[in-house]
Amino acid sequence: MLKKKLEALGYPTPSDMALSNRKDFASIVLWLEDQKIRQYAIEDRVILRNVENIEMWEDAYQKYCADLNMPSLGTQNEQLAWIVGHAIRLEFLDDPAQYESINSKQMQPKINNKQSQKKEQMIFDGQINVNDKEFIAGVRTLAGQLNVPHHPNHLVQLEAVARVVHERLSPAARGRQPIVGTPFPFDKGNDVVSDSDAALDLPMRILRLLQIQSLRQLQTHINETIVSVQNLTANPKTDTKLGKVGF
Amino acid sequence: MVVRSYNDELKYLEKINDHCWRIKKGFQPNMNVEGCFYVNRRLEQLMLEELKNSCRPGAVGGFLPGVKQIANVAALPGIVGRSIGLPDIHSGYGFAIGNMAAFDMDNPLSIVSPGGVGFDINCGVRLLRTNLYEKDVQPVKEQLAQSLFDHIPVGVGSKGIIPMNARDLEEALEMGMDWSLREGYVWAEDKEHCEEYGRMLNADPAKVSMRAKKRGLPQLGTLGAGNHYAEIQVVDEIYDKWSASKMGIEEKGQVVVMIHSGSRGFGHQVATDALVQMEKAMKRDKIETNDRQLACARINSVEGQDYLKAMAAAANFAWVNRSSMTFLTRQAFAKMFNTTPDDLDMHVIYDVSHNIAKVENHMVDGKERKLLVHRKGSTRAFPPHHPLIPVDYQLTGQPVLVGGTMGTCSYVLTGTEQGMKETFGSTCHGAGRALSRAKSRRNLDYKEVLDKLEQSGIAIRVASPKLVMEEAPESYKDVTDVVDTCHAAGISKKCIKMRPIAVIKG
Repeated sequence: MLKKKLEALGYPTPSDMALSNRKDFASIVLWLEDQKIRQYAIEDRVILRNVENIEMWEDAYQKYCADLNMPSLGTQNEQLAWIVGHAIRLEFLDDPAQYESINSKQMQPKINNKQSQKKEQMIFDGQINVNDKEFIAGVRTLAGQLNVPHHPNHLVQLEAVARVVHERLSPAARGRQPIVGTPFPFDKGNDVVSDSDAALDLPMRILRLLQIQSLRQLQTHINETIVSVQNLTANPKTDTKLGKVGF
Repeated sequence: MVVRSYNDELKYLEKINDHCWRIKKGFQPNMNVEGCFYVNRRLEQLMLEELKNSCRPGAVGGFLPGVKQIANVAALPGIVGRSIGLPDIHSGYGFAIGNMAAFDMDNPLSIVSPGGVGFDINCGVRLLRTNLYEKDVQPVKEQLAQSLFDHIPVGVGSKGIIPMNARDLEEALEMGMDWSLREGYVWAEDKEHCEEYGRMLNADPAKVSMRAKKRGLPQLGTLGAGNHYAEIQVVDEIYDKWSASKMGIEEKGQVVVMIHSGSRGFGHQVATDALVQMEKAMKRDKIETNDRQLACARINSVEGQDYLKAMAAAANFAWVNRSSMTFLTRQAFAKMFNTTPDDLDMHVIYDVSHNIAKVENHMVDGKERKLLVHRKGSTRAFPPHHPLIPVDYQLTGQPVLVGGTMGTCSYVLTGTEQGMKETFGSTCHGAGRALSRAKSRRNLDYKEVLDKLEQSGIAIRVASPKLVMEEAPESYKDVTDVVDTCHAAGISKKCIKMRPIAVIKG
């Protein structure tokens, strides 16, 4: 995403952008200030130009962040994301009219036209106008009360709400016995996601668990089907006269 | 064949690390890929001694040494990766037992070889758990062993006690475990915890000879003889607590039942029939191999396809066979403890095949390729999250059941990523013979063998006691050595160790 944004701003070498290096980071920040943000007058940017001498640059960068009113952000990536976002906002404000034709109302149908239409059909059989303002507001409130995270598409959020209701609040779920036994610590399994990247590891494990859960449901359903067929067909017999057992 | 001195032969072998040796090209003629084998120091000695003995002047007859067989397999057309010897390797017909090799399905020259599957097609191990503990079983183990013996037909020429006619057999060959399910001999969950879900879909009973069917029909639902057995075991050690708990094994002392059996005379006949066909196909297609026993046919030839379909039918036979014995075992336990198999929680933990060829997708040189993987005396060991393993084992990796020798111990391992990369997701299958059957008969006395088992507190029921020395622990490599090697090499991971308290055998 960050790469895409930099590309959109016209940053010259986003393809081989590696952020492991503080120097690269410094030059991206400098480029953004030079080309897009222009917080300082040209002559005041001298201190930021000290990319080669990284220690001096750090001091200048601290001051620069404060001058941009950047909130205190943890990682280098977060800071960069914020600065890039700031640059994009400034770029947009330079000439809002230019972007008038591209707005979320028109882009939304383009992106997931088919998908959302299908979804709309599925929800309430098309009986309710799901794009009605009141409906959207209702979904947002419901999501807020159930602590479901925000999603720009309210229908996606509605799906998540439905899932929470189904899993936790439906009569079937309420009557369900709590699961007993020792929980399986999913971070201790034999499966490896990534040794080095904890940020990748956790979400991957969670996604995999969700996948396993839905597979389990499918398998249980299959087993139930087999059992119901067995009720009709099964008739196990043995006849010890056929062979010899127990010498 | 090249004749070289032992020291010259050693030049072609290179120790890559503590647990793996490389067999360089040229060790045997026309090798397409390199070979390798996994051993620890003790197994390494056995391996090299075998080679040394075969290099002595005048050494003729018998099987080629395992290393030579691995190299001969590496010379077969279409082989990819490496020809791999697992730690329990010992000489067999064509392929060594404990050799796995994969062939590229997209290469028109690739072959399938019955020798790479073995005569006992889909010989395998099934493990049932119970909620009993050693203290519940120890006082009644003699009765329980007798009860098992009274329920499961064992021994050479034994006949099944589940009524079947020719039509039932045809259906069973096509449906595999689904047949057992339909007839009500097993539970729906059993299918879930079985390799291939207990059914190979490409099975075609029409490709199986009448003779095989005639041999197979009365034998369905019997344990057989040889190294096959049913054992009541107790959990002796848990190495990986989390994976064990996923398998329903909570504590040491828990009782499980292991059934080791295959496709009996049926599979043997299917393999024999195929070998005859393949010799003709080899002549026609001008396929050259280093060893006459490596009879094979192109995968896409009529003979190749016919064999794969008949082999699949034999695999289904074996699953029905193990399922029938599962049914009988559950009955025996239920009667003994005056309850139901459900209440004893007698679920199948897993069912593995260690003599089979299967089409699988693997990464070769960074690309996904469709391969025909031959595993002879080698168990599939897929890593966590592989789509072909049951949902319950997605986090642990596939359970690998390694049956030990009569009276020693058995293991449950789990599959690893490293195994997937190095050995096409394969690992060892058992102890692996150290002495030939004939040699064991000459060197050991059956009474001593039985006494020894009794002294170690194992209840034993044998149909033909005079053959028991063939299966004595002395005739085999040490299964612990084998398993430790696989664990140390990283191609599978130790999970549970079991020791037997009662054995029934052919």
